[in-house]
Amino acid sequence: MKIKSILIANRGEIAIRIIRTAKKMGIRTFVIKTAKEPNAWYLDEADEIIDFSECFDDTPEFLDIERIIYQAKQHGVESIHPGYGFLAENPDFARRCEEEKIVFIGPSHDAIYRMGNKTIAKELAKANNVPLLGGSKGSVPDAEEARKIANQVGYPVILKAAAGGGGRGMRVVEREKDVERMFNLATNEAEKAFNNPDVFIEKFVREPRHIEFQILADKHGNVVHLGERECSVQRKHQKLLEESPSPALDNALRKVMGNAAITIAKSVNYYSAGTVEFLLDDQNNFSFMEMNTRIQVEHPVTEMVTGIDLIEQMIRIAEGEKLPFTQKDIKLNGWAIEWRINAEDVQSGFSPSLGTIEKISWPESEHIRVDTGVRDGSVITPYYDSMIAKLIIHADDREKALQLSSIAIRKFWIKGTKTTLAFCRAVLQNRNFRKGKFNTSFISKELKIHYHQEPDEEMLAAFFAVYDYAREVHEIEDKPLYVEKGKEIAPWVLNKRLR
Amino acid sequence: MAREPKKKEPTKLIALSASNKAFEFRTPLEKKIKYQGKKVDIKLREDPNGFSYIVWKNKKYMLDVIEKNQNHYTIMINGVWHSFTVETPISLKRRRYLEKQGDSSSTVSIEAPMPGKIIDILVEDGDKVKEGEPIIILEAMKMQNEIYSHVSGIVTSIAVKKNDSVMKDDVLIDIQKG
Amino acid sequence: MDVKGKNFTRFLDRQKLYKTQRDAKAIGKQHSKGKLTAWERLDILFDEDSFEEIDAYVTADRTDTGFGKVKQAYGDGVIIGHGMIRGRLAFAYSQDFTVMGGSLGSVHATKIMKIQEMAQKMGAPMIGLIDSGGARIQEGVASLAGYAGIFYRNVQSSGVIPQISVIMGPAAGGAVYSPSITDFVFMTNQTSYMFVTGPNVVKEVLNEDVSLNDLGGAGIHSKKSGVAHMVFEDEENTLMGVRHLLSYLPANNMENPPEMELSEDETKDIEEKLRDIVPDDANKPYDVKDVINLITDKRSFYEISENYAQNVVIGFARLDGKVIGIIANQPKVLAGTLDINSSTKGARFIRFCDAFNVPLLILEDVPGFLPGIDQEHNGIIRHGAKMLYAFADSTVPRITVILRKSYGGAYCVMNSKNLGGDFNFAWPTAEIAVMGPEGAVAILYRKELEASDDPVAMKKELATKYRKEIANPYVADERGFIDEVIDPAGTRLKLIRAYEALENKFMNNPARKHGNIPL
Repeated sequence: MKIKSILIANRGEIAIRIIRTAKKMGIRTFVIKTAKEPNAWYLDEADEIIDFSECFDDTPEFLDIERIIYQAKQHGVESIHPGYGFLAENPDFARRCEEEKIVFIGPSHDAIYRMGNKTIAKELAKANNVPLLGGSKGSVPDAEEARKIANQVGYPVILKAAAGGGGRGMRVVEREKDVERMFNLATNEAEKAFNNPDVFIEKFVREPRHIEFQILADKHGNVVHLGERECSVQRKHQKLLEESPSPALDNALRKVMGNAAITIAKSVNYYSAGTVEFLLDDQNNFSFMEMNTRIQVEHPVTEMVTGIDLIEQMIRIAEGEKLPFTQKDIKLNGWAIEWRINAEDVQSGFSPSLGTIEKISWPESEHIRVDTGVRDGSVITPYYDSMIAKLIIHADDREKALQLSSIAIRKFWIKGTKTTLAFCRAVLQNRNFRKGKFNTSFISKELKIHYHQEPDEEMLAAFFAVYDYAREVHEIEDKPLYVEKGKEIAPWVLNKRLR
Repeated sequence: MAREPKKKEPTKLIALSASNKAFEFRTPLEKKIKYQGKKVDIKLREDPNGFSYIVWKNKKYMLDVIEKNQNHYTIMINGVWHSFTVETPISLKRRRYLEKQGDSSSTVSIEAPMPGKIIDILVEDGDKVKEGEPIIILEAMKMQNEIYSHVSGIVTSIAVKKNDSVMKDDVLIDIQKG
Repeated sequence: MDVKGKNFTRFLDRQKLYKTQRDAKAIGKQHSKGKLTAWERLDILFDEDSFEEIDAYVTADRTDTGFGKVKQAYGDGVIIGHGMIRGRLAFAYSQDFTVMGGSLGSVHATKIMKIQEMAQKMGAPMIGLIDSGGARIQEGVASLAGYAGIFYRNVQSSGVIPQISVIMGPAAGGAVYSPSITDFVFMTNQTSYMFVTGPNVVKEVLNEDVSLNDLGGAGIHSKKSGVAHMVFEDEENTLMGVRHLLSYLPANNMENPPEMELSEDETKDIEEKLRDIVPDDANKPYDVKDVINLITDKRSFYEISENYAQNVVIGFARLDGKVIGIIANQPKVLAGTLDINSSTKGARFIRFCDAFNVPLLILEDVPGFLPGIDQEHNGIIRHGAKMLYAFADSTVPRITVILRKSYGGAYCVMNSKNLGGDFNFAWPTAEIAVMGPEGAVAILYRKELEASDDPVAMKKELATKYRKEIANPYVADERGFIDEVIDPAGTRLKLIRAYEALENKFMNNPARKHGNIPL
């Protein structure tokens, strides 16, 4: 079955990214318009707009399963692509699509459910002999049980919310006497953040690398991996840049880890694109963390080094096609780095920076790809995440990619909001980063200052402030005033005023 | 008859950074500025896309005024922002004098940076707070904003209650420095 | 000066003495406190080399009251004179804190009254630079009489010439009432104070400790009391601010405000951004200052009382080079509701504009009056009426543009057609009705809603219907309460033409001594 129309249940750069491939494949695209972003760019790129501006309750537009499905059917759309975030990893949404005979461009609801539940996912990994960190089997009922398990696994351990993600409900326990206190904190936080107090225990790996493997699987049981992505540069579990390949892997390790990733995917009869995440310690021991059953923000680096359009493959898989390649056809070519440019104030602890993008421009070349959902005049709202663009550099090797990154970041100009560009520059200045020696503690341990500035910049900024001040004083003082005309009032008006 | 309206201008303007660094420039601004004892060319340009940039030692620097309020400026250069107050020689002297005075009167008020509603107060009267510690959560434009203390010291009074609506610059909390 | 053959000795000696008094001690004293001298301030306020002093050599009467002698100094602690501000005549006095603390004795007061009378006679702005400890105790009732005389002249000049007070040091006791009568009060942060009773009295009477700054500093008066209209960080910027304000004001009530030529990069006549500025969601805030800046000439908006009662935004701006006064609801603050403070803030500004021939522009997005016991008990009825009265009583051209909400009593107050609005425009986003959809439906369909199985859904449906049928600009447009529903993008051009049409407006109000505004 050939898909002829897609409803993209998402916004911003990923909506535009999906539209780009859909256009290439001759597929009609539908997007959702919200009152929060009535003039967003993605709306102009799509063939048709479904208007969700009128909001009847507090359910955010992109989370309203029934409304999206109803509208898809109303407009006769054949398939839905969820992008990332929102409903992308919601098994109910995938199930409802299946029930309503709408093609869900993603994995089966069963695969989403099983990989989304960390306890089940771990059991599957264990059953298939994929290395795993020691820890509790499922959630831990009380602090006493937690203490027992922690003693077995050995300290340090980490408590994690079963329903969690994004660093909330996570606590590292260094000593036995801290278990009870940390357990209570973690359950409270999990309850608050996810309405679910369940936490589980895991061996804590100090300063690991975060490596993930891109998987593609069709509905006929063929699974390949497209190499790894290095995602260790994170702040509070938020990735800030990714590269492919990773400086930490050689071909042998890549093969072993890649096969482990494929095993995981096969264990749930996975199809579509997916990502298997691993922790890698300094002895190159890896262990399975979780599987993301969706397209990832950082997918472009894999596309750049493999030359494969992941969105296209997702659509073809959803259509029931077989993968057009096998593992041995997949070659990693060169080096790619993705720099996330967020509207955040790096100098004030990465706090979000709202406003309007007055101007945005970047250098263009064959080595540079920019995925963005904003253009001149776009408004950054508080309703969605703060990412405004992804700058992807592709070159022959890592050193060249870094060199090109420096140039591109310097020429990436955004006016109107504070961004993480200065943070990118700071990373590029770091010697250990340049050497490829870093792990998840990079930002907290290595980057004392989260932004980079050149020696004369403060002076030049001062000059500009003085310039602007002087200009304004001149404007106020020097523009001629015409008073004469003001004195010529028609006598009959004057007469009234004198009353 | 009306004379030519003319205003005496200061001979130099000073941009004083938040960390009290003073950058002096002669006015009217010239095409060369004195820098480390030498005169160096400085060019201010605008590109066709509407970005302002300075050409300095053959490099381009993108600049943007992010905030300005009277003589307070926040300038973004190559992605890093800097805060300044633009001073004349006289106002700089005044500022220096008042700063010295300010040190003896040690109570500092934390003010609301924007209008909104108080969602939570994280400190109590008599609490010790550290610089950069969040003290109040203020909801504005549907966002919860943490308001930080910009000094270390002891909370001497709390001027607001939960659910109060506040205007920009309303005093929220007084802190005795120390 | 070399003046041969003439007996100019005394002339020259006096000059020399005066110069010594002016420069030596005074500069040191003031500068050491971060303040400028009375003379330096005048230098900054006026165009270069244009200020002419009069009465420089008067001194206080020789009085010894038993409480110490009054110091004899040239000028008796105040400089008066005239000069040019951007080529336009203005009068000013500047109190000298270094002479008996700038205290006001009878000679000091007589000088101020003299310059006030001159300013009124010549029809030129009067600017007072105030830096005074208050009444001169040694002179007793004579100095009080002096204050009263100044107040009297302030009131006589009110509405005839613009009067501006610049507080550059203390202004205590009776001294505060002259500024409060004048049209605009400027203060300098950290070094200026205004209060009727000082911290010592507060301590004595109420046993409360309060600092000068917390009792009557620039911050308090610009944010809490609303006494100060403009606050600046230092004295130079304060005085430059006065110069800037004067560029919007006529010299007197018989002139029009000065015009200015537009530069090339002025505001666009068709500004498409305006179509998107008001959110579709009626409960979403936006900044009305963005609207103001997109309609008026670039960078021409001069906001008054920026930090006081922020739910109403007032200020001067230029439209095609001509000055207008703007009163706008601010949806970003308290949802733009009207309360006691915003009503009085708006009302006084309207009165000023009306007195000095500044046409008014009202940008309306008001859901109503701020509800609350506090508001009712403190007299929102009385205070809200001020704004209404001020609009209805004003004879300058006035134009309303309804941007979004315009509900109930607040609709009437904000210069509605029947309150005498000359042109009343509405954007297509406007909602004009007695109350908002949710409230109206709850009243009209109370019984039906109670009986309904799904009252929430029913309410929504009814609200949508209400919006469609009642709360929109078209009903009002068809009945003539709105002159035209306009494209937001073309607002500027519409306004320019509308003001052109109103240029020679005059009204035939009945003859009366004066109306009785609900004060």
